[in-house]
Amino acid sequence: MFDTALRPVHILYGTGALLVLLAGTTLGSYPSYLISLALINVIAAVGLNLLVGNSGQISLCHSSFMAIGAYGSSMLTAMFGLPFWLSIPCAALGAAAVGALLGMPARRLSGIYLALATLAFLQIVQIAIEESADFTGGVRGLDVPKAFFWPSVPVGPRSLFFVVAGACALSIWSAANLLKSKLGREINAARLSPHAAQALGVSVARVKLTAFALSAAYAGLAGGLLSLVVGFVEPNEFGISAALRQLTFIVVGGMGSLAGSVLGALALSGLPELLRSAKEYSDLASALILLASLLFMPRGLVTLWQHLTVRTVHPVARPNRSPAK
Amino acid sequence: MSTSFYLQLLIAGISVGSVYALVALAIVIPFKASGVLNFGQGELATVGAYAALVMIEAGLPYPLVAILVIGVGGLAGMAIERLLIRPIAGAPAFTLVIATFAIGLAIKSAISIHWGDTPHSISGPFGDDPLTLGTLRINPTSLWIVFCTVLVTLLLTGFFRYVRAGKAMRAVALNAEAASLMGIRINGVYRWAWAISAAIGALAGLLVAPVVGVNPEIGQLILRGLVAAVIGGFTSIIGAVVGGISVGLLETFAGVWVGGAMKNLTPFLVLLVLLAFRPQGLFGSREVYRV
Amino acid sequence: MTPRLELDCVSVRFGGVNAVQGLSLSVAPGEIRGLIGPNGAGKTTVINAITGAVRTSDGAVRLDGRDITRLPAHEISKLGVGRTFQHVEAFGEMSVLDNVLVGVGRATKGWILQYAFGTPHARHCERHLRRLAHETLEAFGLLDIRNARAADLPFGLLKKMDLARSIAAAPSLLLMDEPTSGMSEAEADSAIAAARILASSRGTTLLVVEHNMRVMMALAQRITVMQFGAVIAQGTPQEIQGNAIVIDAYLGTDDHEEGHDVVH
Repeated sequence: MFDTALRPVHILYGTGALLVLLAGTTLGSYPSYLISLALINVIAAVGLNLLVGNSGQISLCHSSFMAIGAYGSSMLTAMFGLPFWLSIPCAALGAAAVGALLGMPARRLSGIYLALATLAFLQIVQIAIEESADFTGGVRGLDVPKAFFWPSVPVGPRSLFFVVAGACALSIWSAANLLKSKLGREINAARLSPHAAQALGVSVARVKLTAFALSAAYAGLAGGLLSLVVGFVEPNEFGISAALRQLTFIVVGGMGSLAGSVLGALALSGLPELLRSAKEYSDLASALILLASLLFMPRGLVTLWQHLTVRTVHPVARPNRSPAK
Repeated sequence: MSTSFYLQLLIAGISVGSVYALVALAIVIPFKASGVLNFGQGELATVGAYAALVMIEAGLPYPLVAILVIGVGGLAGMAIERLLIRPIAGAPAFTLVIATFAIGLAIKSAISIHWGDTPHSISGPFGDDPLTLGTLRINPTSLWIVFCTVLVTLLLTGFFRYVRAGKAMRAVALNAEAASLMGIRINGVYRWAWAISAAIGALAGLLVAPVVGVNPEIGQLILRGLVAAVIGGFTSIIGAVVGGISVGLLETFAGVWVGGAMKNLTPFLVLLVLLAFRPQGLFGSREVYRV
Repeated sequence: MTPRLELDCVSVRFGGVNAVQGLSLSVAPGEIRGLIGPNGAGKTTVINAITGAVRTSDGAVRLDGRDITRLPAHEISKLGVGRTFQHVEAFGEMSVLDNVLVGVGRATKGWILQYAFGTPHARHCERHLRRLAHETLEAFGLLDIRNARAADLPFGLLKKMDLARSIAAAPSLLLMDEPTSGMSEAEADSAIAAARILASSRGTTLLVVEHNMRVMMALAQRITVMQFGAVIAQGTPQEIQGNAIVIDAYLGTDDHEEGHDVVH
């Protein structure tokens, strides 16, 4: 009676997760660091996909919510001595609150106007960070206090990896639950046919706002974790390049598909890191990959995968359906 | 604060606003014709500035450089339209938004890779020494910018009103299907719209380079240009120009009255407020809301 | 007795056009009312005005005596008003089951975190929704294709799904916009029969817009006829058939639906 996922797919996911854990704990500190960054990208991508792919709202400011998470949790720890398992959730909640605030006018906008509004918000957050140097270190950035479980119990590198992996697993699991739930159906329905959704009792306005706040929460979580893993935050990390990169993950992976976002984020995370020394090369690569994907593979990697497996269990949003009209 | 100080501010505001107006025009034209908002428009200005740099360093005289830069812009616009935009022309808004963004980022990073971080500069056509008119000290480049913008505005107005290609573009903007049924080649119109818009963008880059230097961040112009376009309602030449001048004045005076940070923040706050309460801007019509 | 649905001098203006002007009608609880008229008469607009999809410029809409004119569409739906769409408006990428599940969603409430973490409450609600959805799918004979993607279905089946979807949450008033268009005669008969059974067992009031006169005459207890946004006649099917004004409205506007006899 329940439409549950295929058993073989579960085994595959499980194996993948084990491999990631294994790699992260045995390959040495730099690979572990890279994998942590990839997992953080997954968290961010999961949130962004919910908003853009499932709810159909264009957002260019996802990285701004990451910034709120990153700076927020750093400042909460520095100023109030909160341990990471308090400061990060608080910062994520803060990001969600800001997301809800932005989501209120945003849900009434469509297409390019929404893109513009989120772009404006991105710039505002950037400038705000750069100009409040007393709090945020401005353009030069901020050193993040080392993470600790309890005031005299620091979080070692291996523990930090497990924290990140755990948060990633939690994010994927919660997003999967959401998408299968009544709320998930309503989010997709509101995108596919707002009129029909309204006629069936779904408040499209409320659902869109919820999606905005939820995606901001995931971004905030990702940002908070990022600040811990890197140990340093700067506004450059959360600008338009980052926003575009995250969009690349979900477009290449397959918009609207949770598995697609995870896949896209994992597959493409390596690149920015390998090219980290030369930001321009990283940006160029991101841009070209994105363009190539839009031109030649608009439905994303996940549809290739679906041709290989026999049955689609969860319907996938095709990018050719208008996400926002 | 003397009147001459405010007059100088006014001129500075109008001058910088003129550049924004040009960018806004460059944004609005292909949007009206083909429905595509080019988020990479700012980078076309960067292309213009660097093209000018190359030519000036090669020793070409300014008038020739100006003409060539406009030409380069036009060609770039046509190439982008044909190779990158037309294949995805039917795609939903989201795809077009990030595609144009990606194009812009690709151009910007390619330029950064080639020219690196070293600052370059070119001087304005009339030198950089300020003119003295009574108590006013005015940078001749500022006047030149305003002059060029006025010229472009007049030329565009004439183009859309009297030239066949321009009238065809207006027809397509109103109703593409009807226009094509009447024999207008839509693809040709799109190509011209993008060519003109890129040419104007490149010109904007050429004009602004003496003031801000030649660097990859020139593309940031697009942000102000977008604000200007929204104020103008995305509908008309006048709208774009008024929008641009407004943003320029707003920014300049905000910088003086409220301080440095607000100067940067103001255009975006204005944009957000506009989008929240009056997305159609000053001149547009109320078609924007959904649900 | 308070009418289930009452329109009191309702007008709807689009730009300069009066789609509906000064329209009044009243439907008793449990009644099956037909709404007919030539194309462009404003029938779909009336439905849109009742459901809140479109804003009325004048007049009031009342449900069981309660004024719902200014309520948002989803609120009106939650008060027990369902509707089907002339062009289905299916959630194409979703399965038939999911489409119907959206329809029954009104029956439960939950919090975001409950959904996100799969709490017992959330799972319990989901089971309840699925049970309701299954019952509805079974009643319409759609159980076999419940996992099919809606966009892959032929139009006739989509109409059935639309009907199932709108009935699943047991509305007290169901507005049907050309429910049998695109269906074969057999499909139309079975769909209408199913709707009628569900309606009579639950006491649902029906307001049906139809061009298929055979269906309309057999189904409706009373019929309201519209033209140019206003009511021109009202009565039993027999009264309407012989009504000169109605005949004139159809013949006079040169409106002949293919394959349907306007006057029998």
